[in-house]
Amino acid sequence: MFWFYAERILGYWPVLLKGLGMTLGLSLLSLLIGAAIGFAFGIIRAGGNRWLSRALGIYIDLFRGTPFLVQVFIVFFILPAAGIELSAFAAGVVALSNLAACFIGEIVAAGLKAVPQGQREAALASGMTPAQQMRLVLMPQALRIVTPSLVGQFVLLIKDSSVVSAIGLLDLTRAGWMIVQSVPQGLMVFGTVGLGYFLICYPLIHLSRRLERRGQDALL
Amino acid sequence: MGQQARMIEFSGVNKWFGPLHVLQDISLTVGKGEVVVVCGPSGSGKSTLIRCVNGLEPFEKGRLVVDGTDLSNRRALRALRMEVGFVFQSFNLYPHKTALENVTLAPIHVRGLSRAEAEARGRALLEKVGLGDRMGNYPHQLSGGQQQRVAIARSLCMQPKVMLFDEPTSALDPEMINEVLDVMVGLAREGMTMMVVTHEMGFARKVADRVIFMDHGAIVETAPPETFFTAPVHARTRDFLGKILHH
Repeated sequence: MFWFYAERILGYWPVLLKGLGMTLGLSLLSLLIGAAIGFAFGIIRAGGNRWLSRALGIYIDLFRGTPFLVQVFIVFFILPAAGIELSAFAAGVVALSNLAACFIGEIVAAGLKAVPQGQREAALASGMTPAQQMRLVLMPQALRIVTPSLVGQFVLLIKDSSVVSAIGLLDLTRAGWMIVQSVPQGLMVFGTVGLGYFLICYPLIHLSRRLERRGQDALL
Repeated sequence: MGQQARMIEFSGVNKWFGPLHVLQDISLTVGKGEVVVVCGPSGSGKSTLIRCVNGLEPFEKGRLVVDGTDLSNRRALRALRMEVGFVFQSFNLYPHKTALENVTLAPIHVRGLSRAEAEARGRALLEKVGLGDRMGNYPHQLSGGQQQRVAIARSLCMQPKVMLFDEPTSALDPEMINEVLDVMVGLAREGMTMMVVTHEMGFARKVADRVIFMDHGAIVETAPPETFFTAPVHARTRDFLGKILHH
């Protein structure tokens, strides 16, 4: 019985593979965009402009404090009402990048705040511009502190991407929904889907742990 | 002192931290090539005073001119900082850079030197402070005394006109103090203009042109070291010297 269904599920491998590709592509693209915006967010959040930092803080909390599914619906259903037409894929990328940017922003800001004040003073005293202080002295040290958290955040992002199946994107989760229509074995089908996510995420979790250990050594 | 020879000139500088009057009517001129030691009890404002010189600390009233630049001109501040070296009590070396990279970072990115030029200069300076064999080490692999010598080399690599030292030996174990002071004595003898906040009175005796005593944000007494140590005028100076010299 088990093997009968297992064979049938695996017979859908092209759909599973397509879903896996979508999940990976969506996550990677959103990670890149989210990281670019998130670093800018982090620099503003840790920076000297209090009002800008506070305003951004409210924006970030708004997205950290609402379910991602709701955010996806807002982007997909409500933006078109405002005249912004988005494909399901674009809507998924927008929602996911935005969420990633918010989380990465807070992580980067925490890292920057953890760099001792004396580092900024030393860089300042040597005549560096604010941009040079950030690029040459502060950000490299902040990155060392937050890299494990950033990798951990990527794992969360990959898992959060499953929510976009709700707007019809054929990702790994939606592939499961499709297969379960013809193979009435929910546990086995979604077990396979879960295994797919786990196979991507597990090496990343491992990497995060290794970086954490290395980071602790480097900070001695 | 001619106009040409003035390097640092405080006139009527006042600073407050909220209600606390941390610098009171400071007027002080440091000439080119002069070595001035600033001492005083903790909280007397001596660190604040020296941090004003390169604009790390803003002040509310008065005028401060360093190397011809008025510090109220915030836009000229960055150019001035290239000419003013600053050595911190806690070294503040960049932990993600080797000793040589610490020394060459600003010369390359701020002065615009080529990597080769900066490294040649940096190597020579690290040799000079006795760390020729430590160029590839990271700060955490160095002792406190070695870190502070790297920090001095880092400032010198910008070829500054003035060097400021904010309690450079206070964070060091006693056996490492002399290796740092020796470097500073050498620098003073080469004619570097220096302002040094320190309680190392041996250093003051050896190379200072003037010793300044501060208390409660004001300059109480200024004198050449021989007068300062043998015949201080003010009771507060005598009291302070009694506390730091009698052990």
